[in-house]
This record gives sequence, C-alpha cells and structure tokens, in this order.
Amino acid sequence: MSLYTNRKRKSVITMMLCYGAAALGLSVLVIILATLIFMGARGINLDVFTQMTPPPGSTGGGLLNPIVGSLFMTGLGVAIGTPIGILAGTYLAEYGRHSRLSTIIRFLNDILLSAPSIVIGLFTYQILVAPVGHFSGFAGAVSLAILVIPVVVRTTENMLMLVPNPLREAASAMGMPRSLVIKNVAYKAAQAGMITGVLLAIARVSGETAPLLFTALNNQFMSTNMSAPMASLPAVIFQFALSPYVEWQQLAWTGALIITAAVLALSIGARALSSKRT
Amino acid sequence: MPAQHTVSAFDTELKDLSQSIAEMGGLVEKMLGDSADALQRRDTVLARNVIERDARIDAIQREIEEKAIMVIARRQPMAVDLREIIGAIRTASDLERIGDLAKNIAKRTLAIDTAVTLPKVVTGIVHMSQLVLAQLKTVLDSYVSRNAERAVAVWNRDGEIDAIYTSLFRELLTYMMEDPRNIGFSTHLLFTAKNFERVGDHATNIAETVYFMATGSTLPSDRPKGGSVTEISSLTSVL
Amino acid sequence: MLTMPLPKTATKVKVSINNLKFFYGSSIALKGINLELNEREVTAFIGPSGCGKSTLLRVLNRMYDLYPNQRAEGEVLLDGENILSPKQDLNLLRSRIGMVFQKPTPFPMSIYDNIAFGIKLYEKISKSEMDGRVEAALKRGALWNEVKDKLSDNGLSLSGGQQQRLCIARTVAIKPEVILFDEPCSALDPVSTAKVEETIDELRTDYTIAIVTHNMQQAARVSQKTAFMYLGELMEFDDTQKIFTSPSNKRTQDYITGRFG
Repeated sequence: MSLYTNRKRKSVITMMLCYGAAALGLSVLVIILATLIFMGARGINLDVFTQMTPPPGSTGGGLLNPIVGSLFMTGLGVAIGTPIGILAGTYLAEYGRHSRLSTIIRFLNDILLSAPSIVIGLFTYQILVAPVGHFSGFAGAVSLAILVIPVVVRTTENMLMLVPNPLREAASAMGMPRSLVIKNVAYKAAQAGMITGVLLAIARVSGETAPLLFTALNNQFMSTNMSAPMASLPAVIFQFALSPYVEWQQLAWTGALIITAAVLALSIGARALSSKRT
Repeated sequence: MPAQHTVSAFDTELKDLSQSIAEMGGLVEKMLGDSADALQRRDTVLARNVIERDARIDAIQREIEEKAIMVIARRQPMAVDLREIIGAIRTASDLERIGDLAKNIAKRTLAIDTAVTLPKVVTGIVHMSQLVLAQLKTVLDSYVSRNAERAVAVWNRDGEIDAIYTSLFRELLTYMMEDPRNIGFSTHLLFTAKNFERVGDHATNIAETVYFMATGSTLPSDRPKGGSVTEISSLTSVL
Repeated sequence: MLTMPLPKTATKVKVSINNLKFFYGSSIALKGINLELNEREVTAFIGPSGCGKSTLLRVLNRMYDLYPNQRAEGEVLLDGENILSPKQDLNLLRSRIGMVFQKPTPFPMSIYDNIAFGIKLYEKISKSEMDGRVEAALKRGALWNEVKDKLSDNGLSLSGGQQQRLCIARTVAIKPEVILFDEPCSALDPVSTAKVEETIDELRTDYTIAIVTHNMQQAARVSQKTAFMYLGELMEFDDTQKIFTSPSNKRTQDYITGRFG
C-alpha cells in the first residue's frame, strides 16, 4: 500500500512540475505580447500606413516604405520559392520515393531548413550583391526564397506522403498517366496541407531580418524598384530600435506589432485550413 | 474424416449428428428384425411393441433435422461438411420411413386372423427380410465408416431383393386364385413383402447418400433391377 | 446458394495465364500459375493470406509496375496478346482492365467528377453526353437513386458502401473489358456487401470478372469458377459448384471447410 501512496505522491509532484513549466512558458509569451501591444498600440494611427519613415529627430512619419518593401520582397520571394519547393517536394514524394538521390536531397533540405538565416544572407550577398556592386530588393527576395524553399519542400513531401497509396493505385488503375495522377488526385488530396505549408513559409520569412540586412539593406524613401536597395519592416525595426530617438523607437514598436499581427493571422489561417481538412 | 476444424465446436456438432444417425440406425434395425420375428412367430406382443417404438424413431428424426439446420445456420458448411449434413438429413428421413414400414408390417401381423395357418410362403418372406436386414446393416456400417465401396455393394445387391419379391408376388397370386378364402391373409402378406422390398429401396437410397458423402459425386440413376415393373404388370395381365 | 454455371456455349477465353511467375525482389510470390478467365464469367480467387491471389490480380493490370523491384515472368494473354510485353502501353491496358480495390478510394472531388474524370481521359464528349454517361455508370453501380440529387457533393461524403459502388461505377464508366475486384467487400457491412454482390452479378452479363475474396461464402455466391491458391501455387481451379461441394484437392477441402491451422 505504501508503494501505491508513494507512486501517487510522485505522480502529483510530476504533475505540478508540468503545470509549472507550462505556466512559465505561457507567461513569457503573454508578457511579450502584452508588452508589444502596450508599446506598439500607442503608435498605431493612419500615418503609420501612409507616411514615409521620418528623418532622425523629427516627429510624425510612418512605415509605408518598409511595409511596401516587405510586401514586395516577401511576395517575390514566395513566388520564386513556392514553385521550386513544391516541384522538389513532388519529386521526393512521388517520383523519387525510393531513389538514392532523394535520400541525399532530403538530408540537404533538412540542413537548409535549420541553417541560420544570416548564412543565407551572406551567401546571397556573395552572389547577387557583391558582383553587381549594390544592394537590391531583388537580392532580398532571392534570399527569402532560399528560406521558403526548404519549408515548402518539407511540407509538400509530407503532405503527399500522407495521401494514401491506394488512391494513387486507383487512379493509375483507370489508366491515368503518372503526371495526371499527381496533378488531379494527389495534389487535390494534399491541397489543404500544401497551402498550410506555404502560409507557414510566408510567416517564417516575413519576420527575417538578417538576410535582408545583407541584401536589400534599407531605404528611407519610398521605392518599388527591385534593383535598388529597399526598405523592409524587420530591417527598419532593427535600425530604429537601436537608435537614440524616441520617435524612431516608437515606430519600431509599432512595426513589430504589425509584423506579429500579420504572422499571427497567417498562422491562424494555416491552422484553420489544416483543421478543415480532417 | 479429414483433419479437425479450427473451430472445435464444429467437430463436436458434426460428431453429435453422426452419432444420432448411428443410434437411430440401430433402433430401426432392431425394429425391423423384431417385426419379421413377430410375423414368423405370430407374436402379437412383440408386434405391438414394434408399433409403439415408431414414435421414438420419429422423434429422433426431428431432432436430427433440427441439429442439421442449426449447424447449417451457424457454420455455413462447405464441401465435405456440407455433404455430411445433407447426408445426415437424407439418411434420417430414409430411416424414419423404414421405421414406418416396420410398424406397418407389425400392424399386418396383428391383422391376420390368428386362426389361419399360414402357408409355406411366409418362410420366403422371412428369408427376404433377412436379406433386407443384412443390406440395412451393411449400409449403416458403410455410413459409420464413410465407405463408398461397401455402399456400392449394397446398391448393387438390391436387385436380388426385387427378384425375390417378384417370385413371392407370383406365389401369393397363385394362392389367391386357388381359393378366394386365401385372399385376406394373402393380401396382408403381399403388402408385408412389398414393405420389405421398400425397406430395401430405402437401404439403396442410404447407399447413394453414403456414396455422395464420401466421394462428392452421385451414383448413376439407373441401378441394376431384378424384378422389373413390366414383369409384374405382365403377370397381372394373366388375371 | 451456388450460382448455376453458364451454358457451355457461352464461354470464350478472355485472359489466359501461362506459367506466370512473380517476384518481390528475390523472393518468389507466384510459382508458375496456369489459368484461364472466361468471358462473361466471374472467377473467384480464394486462399489464405499471402497465398498470392492479390499479387496475381495486380499482375493482370500491371499494377506492380508502379513499384521498383517487382517483376513478372511468363505470359498473360489478353485476347491473345501478351500484356507482360515491355511494349504494352500501360495506360491503354488499364483502360481495358479496370480494378476495384479493397478500401473504397473515391477521388477527392465531386461524385459527378469522380465518374466524368475517367471518361475525360479517353473521350472528348459534350456536356449533355457526359451527363448521360455519368448517369448510366451510376445506374450500373446501383448508386444512381441514392446520389442523383447530390451529384456535386464530395465523393468522400458518401458512406463506405456507397463509396465502393461509386468506385465500381467509375471503373465501369470507362468501359473496360475485364474488371478486377480485390476484396471489394472486406470493409463493408453485410447490406452494402449484398448490394455490391448484386452489382457484380449484373456486371457479369457484359464483362469478364475476377474477384479476390477472403469470404468463401461470397466466392460461392458470386462466381462461376473458383481458383484456390496456396503459397504462390494454384492448388485447384474448377467450377465453383464443384469446388464448394466436392473439391478434389485435400488442401482446398481443408481450407474451405475451416480445417487450416
């Protein structure tokens, strides 16, 4: 009987520790979000979305150029990375499931997935900035694309792997060529999961700062020229937050809130899509 | 019997069914033998006893049918098992008919006026009954051992019984023509002989069933015949 | 319980399997099978798990080609032509030999599209003609009355039995010559099973049918010919009636009467 009470006591202690750890983790998150909202919400007004970044020391101004820059670069990055990622993921799951090459690709992709983003920034700098002689939005987009690819490859492959094989066999058994089986049956079945993957990839890259500092740098004026340096929210936040000016610091908080809200919206969207699937 | 079933209760049920048939066969065999004895010795006590025993035979037949239906419903038997169960149903119904015939023979024994001294022809009937009994015994043995060869032997020998019946028929006809007072007991004896001949037919039915159970195929429809129907009808035309 | 065999005059050999061997890598799964499937007859394949009956079925439409390290030797003649030949166009072959699988596999699209999809692979027809074809196929699959008012619903919204009949309709829609059923009722309840069996029985008038089943009563009910396989070999092949009343092989007898260890 004492064995039983002893075991029960251990169980209670372990449970308390679990609760404690969960509470600690959650409270950190809550504190961060609360601080962010508290600090950021003060600066939210229409100007933020309509005005350029102000020169140092002046009041007013907004974040229009970094918001546009972020949208442009993230958009282009995802536009480049998604098709490559989906095609590569399709190869891994459909055509090369049993081949040696896939094992190698899968391994390299996993490394790329966990590579520090600053390394990717440096790599892009070396091939797209240094030879040209100046920073550009395009280089920024490419560095983001390189970050998007491994995420999309991974999710595409996993989602296609989840499509039951009998479904493919059934489609093949009707005389469908392999390409049509993938396009019309496998993709359709894996659709929701693949879209979720892309949304998660967008969420991941929209907060990246390091690669952009080496590629797009920054621009305090409005610019939609992809071959010139371009502003982006993370870079502006980085720059303004470190500055001594109170107005800039406020704008950095507001920008952080905007990015967080956007990422949160994407994550919720992804979650909603994947739960609809099941 | 082949190897055991995965479900051992199935084996038990089949064995039970088979045992019931064997038991029923033994009872019917005894009943038929007693009915012949009663006729020979004109033993009315034994004859009444035979008549009473028929109810038990009918009850066993119903029991076997119920068991067989239950096994079919529960086990969906296939191949040898299916044949086994169909065979049991068929054999039970043949045995039940033999029981009825034995009862009828006993009834006729009682019906014949005790004052009448029966002619020598009775010995012929008794001889026929012994042949029929031997056939019944062999076919029941072949059932127990699922022996197709012995069943075929029974099937082939039925012609002999038919031949004896035809000659008994001729003899009894002569009696009746000799003296109208003979017609009463002669008719009873004629039916008795006919009943034994029918028992022989049921024995061959069982032989066919055993053959089907053991091999899965059926014996040809035309079996060797001793006394043909045409022969008998040509005899009656003499009248 | 047993369906009567067809009159002898109606039989014509549709598929002829000669000394067929099959390998998964280096292990042999079929050890030289010789068998003929007659036109307008249902041939059932029975046998314990792993006996090679499903493998045999998957050779008939070259399903094994989807996987590496699987290969077949010997001959499978469809109307006299060897379908194992490397020159055989697989998609064409599969349009002639359809297959229905163990688990219902409706495509993730509407009921209508599930049927129309296959037809579009082979024919270019007008919308109204397509409507007619879809309806005919669904009727053939004995599903029309249950789905005619919800053709645009997702195929996955149907019940298991309905999904399986949708798969049968889908297969029938592309007008194959042979239909292979791989344990089509193993995931269905008895009522759905009965409906599928009824459908198979109706399809028999136009198609050559092969069915793999673990349910012996089902084989007895739907087939005219039955093949019993054991450890990659064909032990016995005969009229269904013969197999289930008086099989000649002892292993067949032991298997169908439930005497296997």
